[in-house]
Amino acid sequence: MTTIRELRVLPPLAIGRLGAATEPMDNYTAETDPDQPLAPRRLRPAPTLRVDPATGAITGADTPERLRFTDGHGKVRPVAPFLEVWALTDDDVLRPLTVDLLEANDLTPDDVQWRVRVGNHKIQRRTYDDDDRIDADTEWFSDHTAHVLMGLCANFLDDKFLPLGHARYVKPTPEFPGIRLRFTPAGGHVYGSAYTDRPTDPDPNVVDFLYDATRGKWRGHADQPGDPRLTIPAQIYAGDDGPDGSWVSRGYLDDECDGLVHVKLEVLGRELSAFGRIGAGPPAYAPDSVPIRTVADELDQALFGPRATDRDGLEHARAVAEEVLRRATETVRLMNTEVMNGNTVDGRVDAASTMVRQDTADTGRLYEPIMAPSLVDAGAVLALHQHVLAALRSGTAPWFADVLRDHDEVGDLTAKGRRKMPALMRGADGRSLALTRRQVDLVRLAARQAIFRQAGDETRGPR
Amino acid sequence: MRSRVHRHLASVVPELFADLPPAMATLSVAGALDAEGERPVLPPEFNWRDYTVMLLHVAAEIEHSLMVQYLFAAYSMGGPQVPEELRDDVRRWQEIILGIAKEEMGHLVTVQNLLTALGGPMNLDREDYPWGSDFYPFAFSLRPLSARSLATYVVAESPETWSGPEAEAIKEVAADTAGQYVNRVGALYGRIDSVLKNKDFLPDELFHAETLPYQASWDEWGRGYTRGQRGQEAGNVPDVASPQLLVFGVFSRDSARKALHEIGEQGEAPDVDEQDETSHFNRFLGIYRALAGLPPEQQALVARRVAENPVTAHRLNEVEAADRAAAEVTTSPITDPFTALWGHLFNLRYRMLLTDIAHAFRLAGPLDNGGVLTGRGALVHRAFAEMYNLRAVAGRLVELPLERDVPDGLRAGPTFEMPYSLELPHHDHDCWLLQRDLVQASRLLVDQLVDTDPASARDPYLIALRESDQRALEQIEHVLGRKGCTR
Repeated sequence: MTTIRELRVLPPLAIGRLGAATEPMDNYTAETDPDQPLAPRRLRPAPTLRVDPATGAITGADTPERLRFTDGHGKVRPVAPFLEVWALTDDDVLRPLTVDLLEANDLTPDDVQWRVRVGNHKIQRRTYDDDDRIDADTEWFSDHTAHVLMGLCANFLDDKFLPLGHARYVKPTPEFPGIRLRFTPAGGHVYGSAYTDRPTDPDPNVVDFLYDATRGKWRGHADQPGDPRLTIPAQIYAGDDGPDGSWVSRGYLDDECDGLVHVKLEVLGRELSAFGRIGAGPPAYAPDSVPIRTVADELDQALFGPRATDRDGLEHARAVAEEVLRRATETVRLMNTEVMNGNTVDGRVDAASTMVRQDTADTGRLYEPIMAPSLVDAGAVLALHQHVLAALRSGTAPWFADVLRDHDEVGDLTAKGRRKMPALMRGADGRSLALTRRQVDLVRLAARQAIFRQAGDETRGPR
Repeated sequence: MRSRVHRHLASVVPELFADLPPAMATLSVAGALDAEGERPVLPPEFNWRDYTVMLLHVAAEIEHSLMVQYLFAAYSMGGPQVPEELRDDVRRWQEIILGIAKEEMGHLVTVQNLLTALGGPMNLDREDYPWGSDFYPFAFSLRPLSARSLATYVVAESPETWSGPEAEAIKEVAADTAGQYVNRVGALYGRIDSVLKNKDFLPDELFHAETLPYQASWDEWGRGYTRGQRGQEAGNVPDVASPQLLVFGVFSRDSARKALHEIGEQGEAPDVDEQDETSHFNRFLGIYRALAGLPPEQQALVARRVAENPVTAHRLNEVEAADRAAAEVTTSPITDPFTALWGHLFNLRYRMLLTDIAHAFRLAGPLDNGGVLTGRGALVHRAFAEMYNLRAVAGRLVELPLERDVPDGLRAGPTFEMPYSLELPHHDHDCWLLQRDLVQASRLLVDQLVDTDPASARDPYLIALRESDQRALEQIEHVLGRKGCTR
């Protein structure tokens, strides 16, 4: 029996990336090169679904020979994820929802309905004015045309909307019978605010004026010091110096968004529904690197808890330790370690916005480089991380757990505290970055257990 | 200890020379402490500064030797034979011993700072194993961890006042393991201090504060380990405080004496204080008590079956016995050709570590928050990288067979054989040539390992080591091309 009992949207969270090119980015994987394990991950093209712009049907799933992140004319190709509908059938199997499965339930693809609701509440978060919320809602649809995600806002100029990309119900075909929706993010443009009661100077940074600066408060907004609702650090919007040290908004908007993709289907008189989450962020400019702490790590911790458990075997813990080191190596590669350490660089003291500056500005701590200034030559730091990674690959127990920063040490401004790993980087709370508790605990599990193994002994159970 | 040093040591340990021919006995008299036991007497062939430098050389060798012995013992621990119920203990003990070894590393570089401040040559040398010493009359020996080997460490770090039934019992085990023992490290540090504190012997101007940028600093070498009180937090292993790495800069008589006092106190606990868990003595004693309390069959399971004093095959024709009051100790030649290559790789990376440390002392650190960086930071990082490599290669050696065609026999263990020389060339450019030589030698060894056992071509560590060596070569070529030597 294949009666559809429940629906799922998979993946439950899909993150797109902005881009103005017409053709979305090709599919690829990022893999460790077995012959160069210390090098950045190697990007390999993977089978890529092509959607016919005219019909909305998938025309092929070829693997491109080479990857290209722009269209060759300076425009970035957006990452446009597919969301698939899966069905839990009455034989307790979760399977892709296809034309055949629909037919088996006396349904057609036209019976599947979608609705996409996304928002960009960045301005409202600053001004606390609900009229500054930007929301888009496609309402329910079953056709295969591209539905523009029109971001509407009470404080926009007349007839203006913020394009947040589009959503399209991919037309199933015999070759590609799956039920899918594709979310294509917006172009990654900057929009501006214009006055209606006086002239507004042209601004080369913006592609259009959307926001009514006379009606709304966004242009000219300044975060108020001492407001406990502010982000840490505050004032992280495009602006200019204002009176009394304030930071005055230029009234810019971007076209990022996040929200929900809903699907519904009536089966045997019951309405089944499911939803997935989508979001759009900036393009990946180092796609062969993974940040040291990612959303995936947060989700992992939310799912499995902050401590390693009996379900975490030694091999998994070792893999996490190596992954942490690999990401650290990839991250160091992208850092100007001399500047970020607070060194005097080419005669410039306090050369950039760094944790050193922030520690001093927030607490009055002595302005002092974090590591010994001699140690932060970028090439040498990278080589050190690569050596640690190499040693780990010998099966040696990780020994660096005691230099990892714990979650409750992010505000430790002693020399030792500031030198813990990951160093020189800021966490979401404005203080030094720490790995998730779960990441740290897994590295410690590997550190405790790895000395009891024997080469060739690959069948180790849980601890 | 080398004979050319040994002949001068009558000044500190005259009793060693009491039964020697009259000429030597004369030296002994010349060097003995005077009646008050306070004022040292200068031995022949020295002035006070040079004598101090000689004593510091001896101190450096002792710290170096202790560190290596402790590392060997720590690396031997573990293995699949450790019973489940002992694993937490064994991992904790290993972490404690590794911590002590790291602290000995701090002592070693602090002694180099003392030497640097006095304008003396640094000393990273030591004898190969096994060897007798005037200060440690049992033979220094690389032994896997056992209650017996642990007894020798307890006694080596024990204060002079340690006595009682337990002390006697442990001293007996130590003597049975390694020969009769008298702790004289305290006497050595006491003698150095008695010279340092006397302005008549060493005037103020002999302490060169301007050498500080060349000395090792905690900021560069501490790696986040605690300065001041030993860390409270569990690091790698719960309930084991992280080590307290003491690295003191020396810029005056007071700072020199403080440095010496602190490292002496951390190691050899001048007084017996059962509550003081920070001294090496008490930490070793704690492990000894726990280990000795286990049934013998369990004691035998805490370490892998690793040979004593493993040496690489090119010394097959040598059989060395330790001299002086020591139990008979011989080397264990590695006859398995594949294992021997790993032993050579270990020795080479050990040499690279010592070369990196010595080379780093040649270059000044930045004076102005890093406005001008030299290769020093890179060399410090390379030194740590070699410590990680040593750990990795030691991990292999404790799993590989010692003898050819005896796959179930003893394991080899890390070799720690000293290079033929630790002298650095005069010019910095030539030091980098040496660095290049060593990396190229490492690549040859990796190639040989792969030739000997083609399966090694898939060894993740060797693949990674080859790659990191390649990257190191590129860096060195960059320096040699005068693009990065100094800037």
